[in-house]
Amino acid sequence: MTIRTAKAVILLIAGGCAAVAGLLFKEHREYREAVVVSPYITEVKKLSDYSDSVKDSVNDANVYIFDSGVPGGTAVLIGGTHPEEPVANMSAQIFTENVKPLQGKVIVINRINRSASLGTRMGEAYPRFYHVKTPWGTKKWRYGDRVASPLDSWPDPEVYIHYPSGQNLAYMDIRNANRTWPGRPDGLLAERTCFAAMELIRKEKADVVMDFHEAELEYAVENTIVVHEKGQPVAAMASMMLTSQSFDVPIGMEFSPKALHGLSHREIGDHSHAVSYLAEVAEPMLDRIRGITDEELLMSGKDRFVMKAGEHKLLYAPIDENGWPAHKRTARHVTTMMTILQVHNMLTPDKAIILDGIPSYGDLMDNGMGQYFADPDASPAERVFFD
Amino acid sequence: MTMFHHSLLVLMVIVLAFSAGKKFSLTTELSMLAGALAGLAAHMILPKGADPRSPLLLAEAVRHLVEGTFTYFDVCLIFLTATFFMALYKEAGGVAFIVRKIVRTFHSRRFVCLLLLVLVMLAPGAITGSGATAVLTVGSLVGSVLLAMGVEEDRRTALIFLLAAMSAACPPINLWAMMAAAGANMPYVGFAAPLAVLSISGALFSAFWLAGKGKPVDLEKALSDLPEVPEGWNWYRAGFPFLLLAALVGAGRIIPHGFPVLGLPLIFMICALSVLLISPVRPPVFRVATDTVHNLQGLVGIMVVVGALIQIMTLSGVRGLLSLAVVTLPLTVLFFSLWLILPISEGMLQYAVAPLFGVPLIMLFNMKGLDPVISLAAWSVMWPLGDCLPPTAVVGRATVMELGYTGDYFRGFVRTSLVPMAAILLLCSLFMVYSSELSGVIGG
Repeated sequence: MTIRTAKAVILLIAGGCAAVAGLLFKEHREYREAVVVSPYITEVKKLSDYSDSVKDSVNDANVYIFDSGVPGGTAVLIGGTHPEEPVANMSAQIFTENVKPLQGKVIVINRINRSASLGTRMGEAYPRFYHVKTPWGTKKWRYGDRVASPLDSWPDPEVYIHYPSGQNLAYMDIRNANRTWPGRPDGLLAERTCFAAMELIRKEKADVVMDFHEAELEYAVENTIVVHEKGQPVAAMASMMLTSQSFDVPIGMEFSPKALHGLSHREIGDHSHAVSYLAEVAEPMLDRIRGITDEELLMSGKDRFVMKAGEHKLLYAPIDENGWPAHKRTARHVTTMMTILQVHNMLTPDKAIILDGIPSYGDLMDNGMGQYFADPDASPAERVFFD
Repeated sequence: MTMFHHSLLVLMVIVLAFSAGKKFSLTTELSMLAGALAGLAAHMILPKGADPRSPLLLAEAVRHLVEGTFTYFDVCLIFLTATFFMALYKEAGGVAFIVRKIVRTFHSRRFVCLLLLVLVMLAPGAITGSGATAVLTVGSLVGSVLLAMGVEEDRRTALIFLLAAMSAACPPINLWAMMAAAGANMPYVGFAAPLAVLSISGALFSAFWLAGKGKPVDLEKALSDLPEVPEGWNWYRAGFPFLLLAALVGAGRIIPHGFPVLGLPLIFMICALSVLLISPVRPPVFRVATDTVHNLQGLVGIMVVVGALIQIMTLSGVRGLLSLAVVTLPLTVLFFSLWLILPISEGMLQYAVAPLFGVPLIMLFNMKGLDPVISLAAWSVMWPLGDCLPPTAVVGRATVMELGYTGDYFRGFVRTSLVPMAAILLLCSLFMVYSSELSGVIGG
């Protein structure tokens, strides 16, 4: 074989690999996630209905509004801030597909940083999709990155200077939808997205905002509610109730640090009258010390390397051979939100938000998540939307 | 077989394939590619332990390989555009003009000249966070002045590398600290003082250790060795592209919310265009562009392959195994071994090492009551010293390439760098061990 022939063969193989990978990237980017909204839906808006800053952009997310018609408060639930934390958007979607508002209004965004869900994180060897078994088949979601895709937001500055605080942050955090609050209308994609979401929070006069997350077990802010100082009584009581009545692993409560800018729990509380909460739950898939990276780890939350780190007391959350399965993580988020609302209603009855139809911690632990997601093919077309 | 055994075996296969590639005279990047491919095959074939695992289809395995190659895409673009800018400037005669002026003005004042050179080398890396950018933009210029000052080749190359490493570590931008801090949800605040103390001390020590002594410069001989400058060059023309570079980068800092985000690749291309506008002669743009790509093939190739290798290591648990091995070491052992672990891991993984080792180490040090800001600053000065080590050796390779180094890479250039490196690593280790005490002094 001559060197020319060898080069031609190598070029063909490389081209073939690029073509195969390209098709898979395309499939991931174009996959449409079906959402069957609960029958009690009032209206489905777009984020751009609140601000032009995201109009015609990939982050013009669906905004699902459920209004009881009975005067009360307004809660905004945010999922999908970091699409490498899948329980965040699944927890939001449990509300979108099951909620029946009895008093007040609840507004849900399943995927606030949609761009970040359209590709996975380079170097992290993530799977492209994850699946949940349901009574009608298997439901599939896109797995994603922590930050918006460079295909949608590029280039990054050499250093990200947060608006309006002027705090210096790592350059890639300008694509991180939990470092760009309160946002600005003429910034980069994540800044514009957060600005539009702030406009939603302000225009809808939200009283409670919840941002769902997951965290590595090596991270100190773990299994906790991070709250703006305005929400201290509610979060403290909710954490006590959840720890004593529902959860096997306690949930803590922490104040939002005043010196750390760009995060939802700090900036939403500072720039609107809403009380901002952020819920964290343990996700071993995010630990750098994890072993084999695959969908099984993502959904079962079982990892021997992370367990070994636990034996050396290097973790902030317990882990054993049962892991941290996705349905347990979802159950914690959903129950945390419902308990926060319960305490909020006790302390501010004139702004009560009463929701029905949401599975309890026991329901989700016993039945799994699958039965709380409806079959889009068997549902009325007017109730099926795509994130 | 457990998952530990699986990941360990995959690691061994990667090392064996890499070694075999080198034995059969493949280039470093092709040997690493062989390691990545063999590691991927081993991961697919070998049992993965008792716990259930998701199937890995061949198409998905290919996707992982291709996806990994894009991990450092932005860094590759910066390398290409920065080198193109400087190559064009050099071809137009700008470098020769500046070097001649510096030699003529400072030939009798070695101390002042060295201080100036340290400043010139530190500035680009401090602003961009990239040692390679420092080498590619001003490395050959400073190297030419050192040559005129009579600094011999090994010492000259070692000094350019060490100054580039310290420039990457120098505040305001230290990418290792920023990435690790971001991973640990720490604000990038309080790092400036410890980073400045460590990196500037390291740069000054390196400069005076390697080039402080020397014979007085024979001005006539030095000038006759330097290339001639085309007619028409003056300080206004020579300074304009660098002023433009400083202005474009500085504007992003001074008015961050009122100036568009251009990105370094576009900034370097704008500066390259400015060279065409101010140059009294017309440099051969197409030839310079093709030469740039040709010269950077190895450097860019290695960044592409390192990305693929890291993705395969992560997929197979090898990355976790290595990371776990480091963070489970006793603290005293860490104190005595990080000076070695950090540069070696940087040579293997580049910036990816910051979130990989930096985040667990921050958590560990915080848990043990040590100051995470001072400690992270110390690690962030140790890491770039590994940029001359294989398999990546990005800044080392760039230095050798820019200076046209003809000596032996390890026995010449790297060996000459060892004393200043050891001094910097010792200083950083002391900062790490006494981080709690120092935090009150320099505001960590």
